[in-house]
Amino acid sequence: MGSTRPTVIGVDNSPSMKKLLERSTKDLDIDLTVFTSAEEAWPYLQANTPNLIIVSILLPDKNGLSLLRDLRQLPAHRETQAIIVSSKDYAQDRMVAKDLGVLEFIPKPMSLQTITDVVVKYTHASLKSDSK
Amino acid sequence: MSNAQLRFWGVRGSYAAPFSSHLGVGGNTSCVEIRVDDHLLICDAGTGIIPLGNKLMQQDQIREIFVILTHYHWDHVCGLPFFVPAFMPDWKIDFFGPGDGPELIEEHISAQMQAPYFPVGTETWLAETNYLEPQSDGFQCGPMKISFSNVHHPGITFGYKIEVNGKTIVYASDNECKFIEKSIKRRTDEFTEEEHELIEEMVHEEHQSELNLFKDADILIHDAQYTPDDYEKKHGWGHSCYVDAIDTAIDANVKELYLFHHDPNYDDVAMEAIQKHSNEIIKEKGSSLVCHIAKEGMTIDL
Repeated sequence: MGSTRPTVIGVDNSPSMKKLLERSTKDLDIDLTVFTSAEEAWPYLQANTPNLIIVSILLPDKNGLSLLRDLRQLPAHRETQAIIVSSKDYAQDRMVAKDLGVLEFIPKPMSLQTITDVVVKYTHASLKSDSK
Repeated sequence: MSNAQLRFWGVRGSYAAPFSSHLGVGGNTSCVEIRVDDHLLICDAGTGIIPLGNKLMQQDQIREIFVILTHYHWDHVCGLPFFVPAFMPDWKIDFFGPGDGPELIEEHISAQMQAPYFPVGTETWLAETNYLEPQSDGFQCGPMKISFSNVHHPGITFGYKIEVNGKTIVYASDNECKFIEKSIKRRTDEFTEEEHELIEEMVHEEHQSELNLFKDADILIHDAQYTPDDYEKKHGWGHSCYVDAIDTAIDANVKELYLFHHDPNYDDVAMEAIQKHSNEIIKEKGSSLVCHIAKEGMTIDL
Protein backbone atom coordinates (compact mmCIF):
# COMPACT_ATOMS: atom_id res chain seq x y z
CA MET A 1 0.00 0.00 0.00
CA GLY A 2 1.30 3.48 -0.82
CA SER A 3 1.26 6.37 1.60
CA THR A 4 -2.15 7.96 2.10
CA ARG A 5 -0.70 11.05 3.70
CA PRO A 6 -1.87 14.24 2.02
CA THR A 7 0.66 15.89 -0.26
CA VAL A 8 1.14 19.65 -0.01
CA ILE A 9 3.24 21.62 -2.49
CA GLY A 10 4.63 25.11 -1.88
CA VAL A 11 5.90 27.30 -4.73
CA ASP A 12 7.79 30.25 -3.24
CA ASN A 13 11.38 31.43 -3.63
CA SER A 14 11.49 33.02 -0.18
CA PRO A 15 13.66 30.99 2.26
CA SER A 16 11.75 32.49 5.22
CA MET A 17 8.43 31.41 3.69
CA LYS A 18 9.84 27.91 3.22
CA LYS A 19 10.73 27.89 6.94
CA LEU A 20 7.27 29.18 7.80
CA LEU A 21 5.60 26.44 5.75
CA GLU A 22 7.79 23.77 7.33
CA ARG A 23 7.35 24.98 10.91
CA SER A 24 3.60 25.51 10.60
CA THR A 25 3.07 21.95 9.35
CA LYS A 26 5.77 20.11 11.31
CA ASP A 27 3.20 18.35 13.54
CA LEU A 28 0.91 17.41 10.65
CA ASP A 29 1.05 14.03 8.97
CA ILE A 30 1.62 15.38 5.45
CA ASP A 31 4.26 15.27 2.73
CA LEU A 32 5.42 18.83 2.12
CA THR A 33 7.67 19.82 -0.79
CA VAL A 34 8.60 23.43 -1.52
CA PHE A 35 9.75 24.47 -5.00
CA THR A 36 11.48 27.80 -5.50
CA SER A 37 10.19 28.66 -8.98
CA ALA A 38 7.40 27.85 -11.41
CA GLU A 39 9.92 26.18 -13.70
CA GLU A 40 11.14 23.92 -10.89
CA ALA A 41 7.58 23.00 -9.85
CA TRP A 42 6.23 22.39 -13.36
CA PRO A 43 7.67 18.89 -14.09
CA TYR A 44 6.42 17.67 -10.71
CA LEU A 45 2.96 19.15 -11.25
CA GLN A 46 2.70 17.66 -14.73
CA ALA A 47 3.24 14.21 -13.25
CA ASN A 48 1.50 14.52 -9.88
CA THR A 49 -1.72 15.86 -8.37
CA PRO A 50 -1.07 17.03 -4.82
CA ASN A 51 -3.89 17.58 -2.35
CA LEU A 52 -3.03 21.25 -1.93
CA ILE A 53 -0.81 23.80 -3.67
CA ILE A 54 0.34 26.94 -1.85
CA VAL A 55 1.67 29.47 -4.38
CA SER A 56 3.26 32.90 -4.10
CA ILE A 57 2.46 35.53 -6.77
CA LEU A 58 5.88 37.13 -7.19
CA LEU A 59 8.09 34.26 -8.33
CA PRO A 60 11.52 34.76 -9.89
CA ASP A 61 10.48 33.39 -13.28
CA LYS A 62 6.73 33.39 -13.70
CA ASN A 63 3.85 35.07 -11.92
CA GLY A 64 2.15 32.60 -9.56
CA LEU A 65 -1.26 33.39 -11.05
CA SER A 66 0.09 32.55 -14.54
CA LEU A 67 1.40 29.27 -13.15
CA LEU A 68 -2.09 28.48 -11.85
CA ARG A 69 -3.63 29.45 -15.19
CA ASP A 70 -1.27 27.01 -16.97
CA LEU A 71 -2.05 24.37 -14.38
CA ARG A 72 -5.82 24.68 -14.90
CA GLN A 73 -5.26 23.75 -18.56
CA LEU A 74 -4.09 20.30 -17.46
CA PRO A 75 -7.05 17.93 -17.02
CA ALA A 76 -5.58 16.53 -13.78
CA HIS A 77 -5.42 20.00 -12.24
CA ARG A 78 -8.77 21.54 -13.15
CA GLU A 79 -9.87 21.18 -9.55
CA THR A 80 -6.61 20.88 -7.62
CA GLN A 81 -6.98 22.86 -4.41
CA ALA A 82 -4.87 26.01 -4.49
CA ILE A 83 -4.07 28.80 -2.04
CA ILE A 84 -2.23 32.05 -2.74
CA VAL A 85 0.23 33.47 -0.20
CA SER A 86 1.47 36.83 -1.36
CA SER A 87 3.37 39.95 -0.42
CA LYS A 88 1.05 41.64 -2.93
CA ASP A 89 -2.44 42.20 -1.59
CA TYR A 90 -4.52 43.97 -4.22
CA ALA A 91 -8.17 43.56 -5.19
CA GLN A 92 -7.22 42.93 -8.84
CA ASP A 93 -5.03 39.96 -7.87
CA ARG A 94 -7.72 38.59 -5.54
CA MET A 95 -10.25 38.75 -8.38
CA VAL A 96 -7.96 36.89 -10.81
CA ALA A 97 -7.20 34.31 -8.10
CA LYS A 98 -10.92 33.79 -7.48
CA ASP A 99 -11.52 33.24 -11.21
CA LEU A 100 -8.80 30.58 -11.13
CA GLY A 101 -10.60 28.74 -8.35
CA VAL A 102 -8.19 29.77 -5.58
CA LEU A 103 -9.67 28.83 -2.21
CA GLU A 104 -7.93 31.37 0.00
CA PHE A 105 -5.80 34.47 -0.59
CA ILE A 106 -3.47 34.98 2.36
CA PRO A 107 -1.40 38.18 2.47
CA LYS A 108 2.14 37.99 3.85
CA PRO A 109 3.12 38.09 6.61
CA MET A 110 0.89 35.47 8.17
CA SER A 111 1.05 33.61 11.47
CA LEU A 112 2.19 29.99 11.65
CA GLN A 113 -1.29 29.05 12.83
CA THR A 114 -2.89 30.57 9.71
CA ILE A 115 -0.98 28.10 7.52
CA THR A 116 -1.61 25.18 9.89
CA ASP A 117 -5.34 25.94 9.82
CA VAL A 118 -5.66 26.11 6.01
CA VAL A 119 -3.64 22.94 5.50
CA VAL A 120 -5.85 21.05 7.97
CA LYS A 121 -9.00 22.61 6.52
CA TYR A 122 -8.29 21.55 2.94
CA THR A 123 -6.34 18.28 3.41
CA HIS A 124 -7.97 16.99 6.62
CA ALA A 125 -4.43 16.17 7.76
CA SER A 126 -4.15 14.59 11.16
CA LEU A 127 -1.43 15.14 13.74
CA LYS A 128 1.66 12.94 13.51
CA SER A 129 1.47 10.09 16.02
CA ASP A 130 4.40 11.49 18.06
CA SER A 131 2.70 14.89 18.27
CA LYS A 132 -0.56 13.59 19.75
CA MET B 1 29.38 55.22 -29.10
CA SER B 2 25.81 55.53 -30.36
CA ASN B 3 23.83 58.72 -30.32
CA ALA B 4 21.37 57.99 -27.54
CA GLN B 5 18.70 60.09 -25.83
CA LEU B 6 15.85 59.58 -23.43
CA ARG B 7 12.85 61.89 -23.47
CA PHE B 8 9.84 62.12 -21.17
CA TRP B 9 6.56 62.52 -23.10
CA GLY B 10 4.20 61.77 -20.21
CA VAL B 11 4.97 61.79 -16.49
CA ARG B 12 1.58 61.64 -14.75
CA GLY B 13 -0.07 58.65 -13.14
CA SER B 14 -3.77 57.69 -12.97
CA TYR B 15 -5.20 60.20 -15.44
CA ALA B 16 -4.10 63.08 -17.60
CA ALA B 17 -3.88 66.46 -15.86
CA PRO B 18 -3.92 69.12 -18.59
CA PHE B 19 -4.54 71.92 -16.10
CA SER B 20 -2.78 75.27 -16.41
CA SER B 21 -1.56 74.88 -12.81
CA HIS B 22 0.20 71.58 -13.73
CA LEU B 23 1.89 72.32 -17.04
CA GLY B 24 5.33 73.14 -15.63
CA VAL B 25 5.65 69.43 -14.90
CA GLY B 26 3.25 68.29 -17.60
CA GLY B 27 -0.17 66.69 -17.80
CA ASN B 28 0.23 63.61 -20.03
CA THR B 29 0.29 60.08 -18.62
CA SER B 30 3.22 57.66 -18.76
CA CYS B 31 5.35 57.55 -21.89
CA VAL B 32 9.15 57.60 -22.20
CA GLU B 33 11.09 57.50 -25.46
CA ILE B 34 14.59 56.03 -25.66
CA ARG B 35 16.19 56.57 -29.05
CA VAL B 36 19.57 55.16 -30.02
CA ASP B 37 20.56 56.24 -33.53
CA ASP B 38 17.51 55.11 -35.55
CA HIS B 39 16.32 52.53 -33.01
CA LEU B 40 13.26 53.59 -31.06
CA LEU B 41 12.02 52.12 -27.81
CA ILE B 42 8.84 53.48 -26.19
CA CYS B 43 8.14 52.68 -22.55
CA ASP B 44 4.37 52.74 -21.97
CA ALA B 45 1.64 54.24 -24.11
CA GLY B 46 -0.21 56.74 -21.95
CA THR B 47 -1.42 60.01 -23.46
CA GLY B 48 2.23 61.06 -23.86
CA ILE B 49 2.52 58.69 -26.83
CA ILE B 50 0.07 60.88 -28.81
CA PRO B 51 2.39 63.90 -29.26
CA LEU B 52 5.30 61.47 -29.72
CA GLY B 53 3.39 59.79 -32.57
CA ASN B 54 2.65 63.17 -34.16
CA LYS B 55 6.34 64.09 -33.94
CA LEU B 56 7.35 60.77 -35.53
CA MET B 57 5.08 61.50 -38.48
CA GLN B 58 7.28 64.52 -39.28
CA GLN B 59 10.39 62.42 -39.97
CA ASP B 60 11.22 59.57 -42.33
CA GLN B 61 14.31 57.82 -40.91
CA ILE B 62 12.41 55.65 -38.43
CA ARG B 63 9.65 53.24 -39.43
CA GLU B 64 10.11 50.57 -36.74
CA ILE B 65 9.11 50.96 -33.11
CA PHE B 66 9.34 48.68 -30.08
CA VAL B 67 6.71 49.45 -27.42
CA ILE B 68 7.14 47.90 -23.97
CA LEU B 69 4.21 48.14 -21.57
CA THR B 70 4.54 47.82 -17.80
CA HIS B 71 0.87 46.74 -17.56
CA TYR B 72 -2.53 47.56 -19.04
CA HIS B 73 -4.05 50.04 -16.59
CA TRP B 74 -5.57 52.74 -18.76
CA ASP B 75 -3.08 55.49 -17.94
CA HIS B 76 -0.44 53.28 -19.62
CA VAL B 77 -2.33 52.33 -22.80
CA CYS B 78 -4.91 55.06 -23.40
CA GLY B 79 -2.73 56.90 -25.94
CA LEU B 80 -2.66 53.95 -28.38
CA PRO B 81 -6.04 54.63 -30.04
CA PHE B 82 -4.61 58.03 -31.08
CA PHE B 83 -1.07 56.92 -31.96
CA VAL B 84 -0.93 57.89 -35.64
CA PRO B 85 1.98 55.59 -36.77
CA ALA B 86 -0.18 52.55 -35.89
CA PHE B 87 -2.69 53.63 -38.54
CA MET B 88 -0.04 54.02 -41.27
CA PRO B 89 0.77 51.15 -43.67
CA ASP B 90 4.54 51.57 -43.87
CA TRP B 91 5.23 51.25 -40.14
CA LYS B 92 6.15 48.23 -38.04
CA ILE B 93 5.37 48.13 -34.32
CA ASP B 94 6.40 45.35 -31.92
CA PHE B 95 4.55 45.21 -28.62
CA PHE B 96 5.55 43.50 -25.42
CA GLY B 97 3.92 43.49 -22.00
CA PRO B 98 2.68 41.18 -19.27
CA GLY B 99 0.65 38.22 -20.49
CA ASP B 100 0.96 34.49 -20.95
CA GLY B 101 1.77 34.79 -24.67
CA PRO B 102 1.25 36.99 -27.73
CA GLU B 103 -2.51 36.30 -27.95
CA LEU B 104 -3.12 37.61 -24.43
CA ILE B 105 -0.90 40.66 -25.00
CA GLU B 106 -2.89 41.45 -28.15
CA GLU B 107 -6.17 40.87 -26.32
CA HIS B 108 -5.18 43.26 -23.51
CA ILE B 109 -4.03 45.97 -25.93
CA SER B 110 -7.11 45.64 -28.15
CA ALA B 111 -9.67 45.56 -25.32
CA GLN B 112 -9.90 49.35 -24.98
CA MET B 113 -10.62 49.81 -28.71
CA GLN B 114 -14.04 48.18 -28.77
CA ALA B 115 -17.61 49.43 -29.04
CA PRO B 116 -19.15 51.12 -27.21
CA TYR B 117 -15.96 52.59 -25.75
CA PHE B 118 -14.20 53.41 -29.04
CA PRO B 119 -15.46 53.57 -32.65
CA VAL B 120 -12.73 51.48 -34.34
CA GLY B 121 -10.71 48.45 -33.30
CA THR B 122 -7.05 47.53 -33.72
CA GLU B 123 -8.00 45.76 -36.97
CA THR B 124 -7.97 49.28 -38.47
CA TRP B 125 -4.28 49.60 -37.68
CA LEU B 126 -2.43 49.46 -40.99
CA ALA B 127 1.04 49.19 -39.48
CA GLU B 128 2.53 45.70 -39.22
CA THR B 129 1.96 44.88 -35.56
CA ASN B 130 3.60 42.02 -33.68
CA TYR B 131 2.93 40.86 -30.14
CA LEU B 132 6.01 39.21 -28.71
CA GLU B 133 6.41 36.00 -26.76
CA PRO B 134 8.11 36.57 -23.37
CA GLN B 135 11.80 35.68 -23.57
CA SER B 136 13.54 34.65 -20.36
CA ASP B 137 16.77 36.34 -21.48
CA GLY B 138 14.96 39.52 -22.58
CA PHE B 139 14.88 41.39 -25.87
CA GLN B 140 17.14 43.43 -28.09
CA CYS B 141 16.08 46.70 -29.73
CA GLY B 142 19.10 47.64 -31.86
CA PRO B 143 21.91 48.13 -29.36
CA MET B 144 19.47 48.26 -26.41
CA LYS B 145 19.26 45.14 -24.23
CA ILE B 146 15.92 44.93 -22.43
CA SER B 147 15.00 42.64 -19.53
CA PHE B 148 11.95 42.62 -17.26
CA SER B 149 10.93 41.62 -13.74
CA ASN B 150 7.68 41.43 -11.79
CA VAL B 151 7.11 44.45 -9.56
CA HIS B 152 4.69 45.34 -6.77
CA HIS B 153 1.45 46.62 -8.30
CA PRO B 154 -2.05 45.20 -8.87
CA GLY B 155 -2.12 42.53 -11.59
CA ILE B 156 0.99 41.37 -13.40
CA THR B 157 3.20 44.44 -13.78
CA PHE B 158 6.74 44.61 -15.08
CA GLY B 159 9.70 46.82 -14.33
CA TYR B 160 12.21 47.06 -17.21
CA LYS B 161 15.98 47.27 -17.26
CA ILE B 162 17.47 48.79 -20.42
CA GLU B 163 21.20 48.62 -21.04
CA VAL B 164 22.70 50.93 -23.65
CA ASN B 165 26.03 52.71 -24.21
CA GLY B 166 27.39 51.11 -21.02
CA LYS B 167 24.58 52.66 -18.99
CA THR B 168 21.76 50.97 -17.13
CA ILE B 169 18.32 52.57 -17.13
CA VAL B 170 15.54 51.10 -15.01
CA TYR B 171 11.93 52.00 -15.76
CA ALA B 172 9.57 51.11 -12.90
CA SER B 173 6.62 53.41 -13.45
CA ASP B 174 4.28 51.61 -11.04
CA ASN B 175 5.82 49.93 -8.02
CA GLU B 176 4.82 50.13 -4.36
CA CYS B 177 8.19 49.79 -2.68
CA LYS B 178 8.57 48.66 0.94
CA PHE B 179 4.98 47.34 0.86
CA ILE B 180 5.51 44.36 3.15
CA GLU B 181 7.64 46.37 5.59
CA LYS B 182 4.87 48.93 5.95
CA SER B 183 2.20 46.23 6.21
CA ILE B 184 4.05 44.60 9.08
CA LYS B 185 4.33 47.87 11.00
CA ARG B 186 0.53 48.03 10.94
CA ARG B 187 0.13 44.43 12.19
CA THR B 188 3.05 44.01 14.59
CA ASP B 189 0.87 42.98 17.58
CA GLU B 190 -0.52 39.95 15.73
CA PHE B 191 2.69 37.92 15.82
CA THR B 192 4.70 35.84 18.30
CA GLU B 193 8.42 36.22 18.89
CA GLU B 194 9.20 33.22 16.63
CA GLU B 195 7.00 34.69 13.90
CA HIS B 196 8.67 38.09 14.25
CA GLU B 197 12.05 36.48 13.53
CA LEU B 198 10.69 34.86 10.36
CA ILE B 199 8.96 38.08 9.35
CA GLU B 200 12.16 40.10 9.75
CA GLU B 201 13.84 37.64 7.38
CA MET B 202 10.89 38.03 5.00
CA VAL B 203 11.23 41.84 5.01
CA HIS B 204 14.96 41.55 4.36
CA GLU B 205 14.38 39.15 1.45
CA GLU B 206 11.72 41.40 -0.08
CA HIS B 207 13.97 44.44 0.21
CA GLN B 208 16.90 42.61 -1.37
CA SER B 209 14.74 41.38 -4.22
CA GLU B 210 13.54 44.97 -4.81
CA LEU B 211 17.12 46.26 -4.77
CA ASN B 212 18.24 43.62 -7.28
CA LEU B 213 16.19 45.24 -10.03
CA PHE B 214 17.52 48.75 -9.30
CA LYS B 215 21.07 47.92 -8.22
CA ASP B 216 23.74 50.31 -9.55
CA ALA B 217 21.36 51.81 -12.12
CA ASP B 218 22.68 54.97 -13.76
CA ILE B 219 19.12 56.19 -14.22
CA LEU B 220 16.11 54.98 -12.26
CA ILE B 221 12.68 56.21 -13.35
CA HIS B 222 10.44 55.27 -10.45
CA ASP B 223 6.90 55.62 -9.21
CA ALA B 224 6.70 58.47 -6.67
CA GLN B 225 2.99 59.14 -6.76
CA TYR B 226 2.34 60.16 -3.17
CA THR B 227 3.50 62.48 -0.44
CA PRO B 228 3.95 60.77 2.98
CA ASP B 229 0.54 62.11 4.12
CA ASP B 230 -1.28 60.80 1.05
CA TYR B 231 0.54 57.47 1.21
CA GLU B 232 -0.79 56.95 4.74
CA LYS B 233 -4.30 57.03 3.24
CA LYS B 234 -3.37 55.10 0.10
CA HIS B 235 -1.15 52.30 1.38
CA GLY B 236 -1.95 49.24 -0.73
CA TRP B 237 -2.97 51.18 -3.85
CA GLY B 238 0.14 49.98 -5.71
CA HIS B 239 2.15 53.21 -5.75
CA SER B 240 5.11 54.55 -3.82
CA CYS B 241 5.64 57.52 -1.57
CA TYR B 242 8.54 59.58 -2.97
CA VAL B 243 10.42 59.24 0.35
CA ASP B 244 10.42 55.43 -0.02
CA ALA B 245 11.50 55.72 -3.68
CA ILE B 246 14.46 57.87 -2.58
CA ASP B 247 15.42 55.49 0.27
CA THR B 248 15.26 52.51 -2.09
CA ALA B 249 17.33 54.30 -4.74
CA ILE B 250 19.99 55.17 -2.14
CA ASP B 251 20.09 51.57 -0.85
CA ALA B 252 20.41 50.30 -4.44
CA ASN B 253 23.32 52.66 -5.18
CA VAL B 254 21.42 54.40 -7.99
CA LYS B 255 23.17 57.42 -9.52
CA GLU B 256 20.21 59.48 -10.75
CA LEU B 257 16.59 59.07 -9.72
CA TYR B 258 13.73 60.54 -11.74
CA LEU B 259 10.58 60.74 -9.63
CA PHE B 260 7.77 59.70 -11.99
CA HIS B 261 4.06 58.86 -12.25
CA HIS B 262 3.11 62.02 -10.39
CA ASP B 263 -0.29 62.24 -8.79
CA PRO B 264 -2.61 64.30 -11.04
CA ASN B 265 -3.77 66.24 -7.98
CA TYR B 266 -0.31 67.75 -7.45
CA ASP B 267 0.18 71.08 -9.20
CA ASP B 268 3.52 72.69 -10.02
CA VAL B 269 3.77 74.28 -6.56
CA ALA B 270 3.24 70.90 -4.86
CA MET B 271 5.84 69.31 -7.15
CA GLU B 272 8.37 72.02 -6.28
CA ALA B 273 7.85 71.23 -2.61
CA ILE B 274 8.50 67.53 -3.36
CA GLN B 275 11.75 68.43 -5.16
CA LYS B 276 12.86 70.60 -2.22
CA HIS B 277 12.05 67.93 0.39
CA SER B 278 13.76 65.24 -1.74
CA ASN B 279 16.97 67.27 -1.84
CA GLU B 280 16.81 67.75 1.95
CA ILE B 281 16.38 64.01 2.53
CA ILE B 282 19.35 63.18 0.30
CA LYS B 283 21.52 65.83 1.99
CA GLU B 284 20.58 64.57 5.46
CA LYS B 285 21.53 61.04 4.46
CA GLY B 286 24.85 62.22 3.01
CA SER B 287 24.06 60.43 -0.24
CA SER B 288 25.45 61.26 -3.67
CA LEU B 289 22.11 60.39 -5.32
CA VAL B 290 20.88 63.05 -7.75
CA CYS B 291 17.10 63.33 -7.68
CA HIS B 292 14.94 64.99 -10.34
CA ILE B 293 11.25 65.51 -10.85
CA ALA B 294 10.54 63.94 -14.26
CA LYS B 295 8.98 66.65 -16.42
CA GLU B 296 7.35 66.46 -19.82
CA GLY B 297 9.84 67.39 -22.55
CA MET B 298 12.87 66.73 -20.35
CA THR B 299 15.64 65.09 -22.40
CA ILE B 300 18.66 63.15 -21.14
CA ASP B 301 21.74 62.38 -23.22
CA LEU B 302 22.80 58.77 -22.66
